[in-house]
Amino acid sequence: MDETIKVTGLSKSYAGNKVISNIELSIGTGQVFGLLGANGAGKTTTIECILGTRKADAGSVSILGLDSRKDRKQLFEQVGVQFQETGYSDKIKVWELCEETACLYRKAANYEDLLRQFDLWEKRGAFVNELSGGQKQRLFIVLALLPDPKVVFLDELTTGLDTKARRSVWKSLNTLKQKGLTIFLSSHFMDEVEVLCDTIAILKDGNFIFTGTVQEAIHQSPYNNLEEAYLWFTGEEETDDE
Amino acid sequence: MNKYVTMLKTEIKLSFRGMDMVIFALCLPVVVVVLLGIIYGNQPAFEGASYSFLEQSFGAISTISICAGGVMGLPLVISDYRQKKILKRYKVTPTSPILLLTVQVSIYAIYSLLSLILVYLVGSLFFCVRLPGSVGIFLASYLLVMLSTFSIGMMVGGVAPNMKVASIVASILYFPMLIFSGATLPYEVMPTALQRIADILPLTQGIKLLKATSLGLPIEVAWLPLVVMVALIIICGGIAVRFFKWE
Repeated sequence: MDETIKVTGLSKSYAGNKVISNIELSIGTGQVFGLLGANGAGKTTTIECILGTRKADAGSVSILGLDSRKDRKQLFEQVGVQFQETGYSDKIKVWELCEETACLYRKAANYEDLLRQFDLWEKRGAFVNELSGGQKQRLFIVLALLPDPKVVFLDELTTGLDTKARRSVWKSLNTLKQKGLTIFLSSHFMDEVEVLCDTIAILKDGNFIFTGTVQEAIHQSPYNNLEEAYLWFTGEEETDDE
Repeated sequence: MNKYVTMLKTEIKLSFRGMDMVIFALCLPVVVVVLLGIIYGNQPAFEGASYSFLEQSFGAISTISICAGGVMGLPLVISDYRQKKILKRYKVTPTSPILLLTVQVSIYAIYSLLSLILVYLVGSLFFCVRLPGSVGIFLASYLLVMLSTFSIGMMVGGVAPNMKVASIVASILYFPMLIFSGATLPYEVMPTALQRIADILPLTQGIKLLKATSLGLPIEVAWLPLVVMVALIIICGGIAVRFFKWE
């Protein structure tokens, strides 16, 4: 299996506080990787250091054999990103945001098809501001898919989506996965992780306390589902009882 | 389509939807030229002057839009786009946020030029404004004043930590410049004491340069404004480039 994302020894501290330390990661082509961890565990920092929007203190990152800082232009022709908070202008309409983003790529996907696929076609003339939380989230996934990417990073994938919308996003991602797309996502929803991810890593205080498949995570814990296993790994399972 | 053109088209639309620039950069200068035209008509600038008061004011009025775009529009849009993390989003695309900034500068340059044309048309059609100066030299000076004012805006937008600070600084720069540099209230009608204060404002110097070039006055009068304009571009532009914050 080819390696699409390779991270070694990635560390970052802010003002002397280590946010992530010595992160090691390897994600194969066509795999879906899930980054788990509580808020503040360092998920966003990990993603930003991998993408090069933050400069890591140490370590190296290779995506599709490219360096995310040195080969930025070449890399982001093939990599789509959805940040936790995606920025857009107040007065921009859905189709304008799509068109303005699509024009940045040499070979962009057809945004009209993507809007249809993510059930946003009816909303193409609406202001992005007026979309519901779930519609916005779907739009940002559309933007991440606009470069027709080989790899896509989705931070907090389905936060704010209702059950039906989440399922439809999962379905779309599974279709893309079958076409060979490598997906790096972070999520708080274990059901979603179980459905989508081939491998996961659990981040606690800036370190990976588990990396492996969902099944391995469950087997290593005394529980029989991922949610319980996750809480067991992060040491958060007893807080409710106390 | 070329990405610059596509973005320019979209961002112009967004700017028009905002209306602020349409009012402050396009309508306001026309209102001022009409008012001065009605008040002063064809009166000469002073006893025995070869040009009218309004002709003398043309250079000043033409900077209202530069002032609105450069000191108000540009810093606000830059800090807004940074605060909304739009600049950051461009960092994970094959282009850089610099493209977006270039597009914004182009938009405010377009507003300024449109306003210049509007003011000239209104002045020449309704109030017989005739400008003997060389068009080429005037446009070159106009470009220089525009660049230096825009560099102030780039500095404020690039360095201000957030939208709130940017908007306070922009207001502090914009309103005194608009009123006391002679852009709206003619420099010539100010009392001498006020003229002294006005002379400190960089735009006052820019306006002197534009007056000299539009009226075709000897260029020796223009060396101080020239130095001020170029110094502004170097200092403010330098600070903007050196300390610019993308996030």
